[in-house]
Amino acid sequence: MRRVAAPAFLVLAVLDVTSGVLSAHDRQLLGAAHVLAGEAGAVVVLAPPGLAGLETAGADRVLTSAPSDGYDPDGKAAAVMTAIASLDPRHVLFAESADGGDLARRVAASGHFPLAAGIEALGANFAVRPCSAGRFEERAAPARLLSVAPDRIGGYAGLPCEALALPETPWPPGCPFAATIRSGDPSQLPLTEAAFVVAAGDGLTDFDMFARLVTALGATPGASRVLCDAGLMPRDRQVGASGSVLAAECYVAVGISGAPQHLAGITGVPHVIAVNTDLHAAMVARAGLAVIADAQDVMRALLAQLSA
Amino acid sequence: MRATVLLSAGRHPVSGRASPVAVEMQAIRLAIDLGATPSGLHAGEAASAAQDALGHGLSRLVLLEGATDDPLPALLDHLRRLPPDLLLAGRRGQGGSDSGLLPYQLAHGLGWPIVADVVRLTRSGGKLIAEQALPRGARRVVTLSLPCIVTVHPAALPALPFRLAGLQGEVRSVPVAPTPATSQPELRPYRMRPKVVERSAGGGSVLVGVSAEQAASAILSELRRLKMLAG
Repeated sequence: MRRVAAPAFLVLAVLDVTSGVLSAHDRQLLGAAHVLAGEAGAVVVLAPPGLAGLETAGADRVLTSAPSDGYDPDGKAAAVMTAIASLDPRHVLFAESADGGDLARRVAASGHFPLAAGIEALGANFAVRPCSAGRFEERAAPARLLSVAPDRIGGYAGLPCEALALPETPWPPGCPFAATIRSGDPSQLPLTEAAFVVAAGDGLTDFDMFARLVTALGATPGASRVLCDAGLMPRDRQVGASGSVLAAECYVAVGISGAPQHLAGITGVPHVIAVNTDLHAAMVARAGLAVIADAQDVMRALLAQLSA
Repeated sequence: MRATVLLSAGRHPVSGRASPVAVEMQAIRLAIDLGATPSGLHAGEAASAAQDALGHGLSRLVLLEGATDDPLPALLDHLRRLPPDLLLAGRRGQGGSDSGLLPYQLAHGLGWPIVADVVRLTRSGGKLIAEQALPRGARRVVTLSLPCIVTVHPAALPALPFRLAGLQGEVRSVPVAPTPATSQPELRPYRMRPKVVERSAGGGSVLVGVSAEQAASAILSELRRLKMLAG
């Protein structure tokens, strides 16, 4: 257990928490915060109340702030400003995501803080970020505010931290925008943006049924190179080294044996389900759940159970 | 409606030559689709990239010449004197510091609301309705009161095609007092670093010799456990 009884300084990590749980990007943010805090400093997270798993993710202190309803980015920036004023952290870290990057810039503008946006490499006394249209990189001492690019800095892998609760930070009443969220149509999403992909391979013969299954599951369709080369699926649906590299949460491979070039497209996918007739296919070895059966039979049974 | 598009000193990501920034040209189209005749605003040197923006649908261009390192004071001063109803910018520059901070500093200085990553703009009464791009193809529809600032996301409609005749549009130069040079950080050629990938080892359960119905219910219960099914 890591305990920092009297921290020499604080590093504040403002977590994104987009879907109510710690994301991989949030964990990377805490990894970056530990690089800056080292042994002497303590990592404080600013998070909504009731977030699980903060000890292992690397939070020495936890500052909770209950978000107001609706889309209120200025109110959230004001809550971060309150936390900065009360804790006086040496660095404040944000996730360079859609809402996290927006928040970092709001805080930087309202507090006139220097911001190093989109950090890709980090040490205790340097931070590297791309600039000049990605042709150059800027290497400087870590700024007061830093936003961390996704998948560049590893998560915290040390001893579990104590996650001591600090008094709650009030969320100042901002002026929320009137806003509604419309989720994307999964069947039209680019493969790189999809969360749930169902992909077809050479073991598939009934494409009509495949299309109905993808719609019924609410997934994004994908395909192997063989099917795209044969013109059976559009080229923009190809998964793999010469197609799209996925950032999905779950991948269902129907009749795909799993060539190395195909598996290269799903290295980042945490959950893989395979349906294949060959027990020794590479995809079966890669999958968390594999079914050795004919794709058409399983698809028919899936459709029957989904409509039941 | 008076719309102004902020233009940065863009560089091409491959050749490094001065070139307009794609999201800023998309911003011009968003303003035109809204029924405005947008004008461009650029502060600082290297105006050739900004000049090219005239060919993508700008009616006129204002160059604040002399603001070298920090364009913020010159832009704030100009916008306070001649405030537009709507100020559009790209989500990030391309060729300078590329931090995407300037629109937020302008919003703070002017006291206007700002919404980032907009892909579509419509008007309803006196309000502006902005569609904001979120990850996974989701969209957030935000209602804003004018005047306001929006930054444009690459998922917006593509820019209008280039018209050579557009280059003859009005260009007005406004001399401004140059700002003192700030210290430049150390620059190196960009080096692509490997991405952190948390590999899943696989080696899960394998169902052999089960009926299609059993297989289907096993897959569906796994998908429900992963919260991938709506129902």
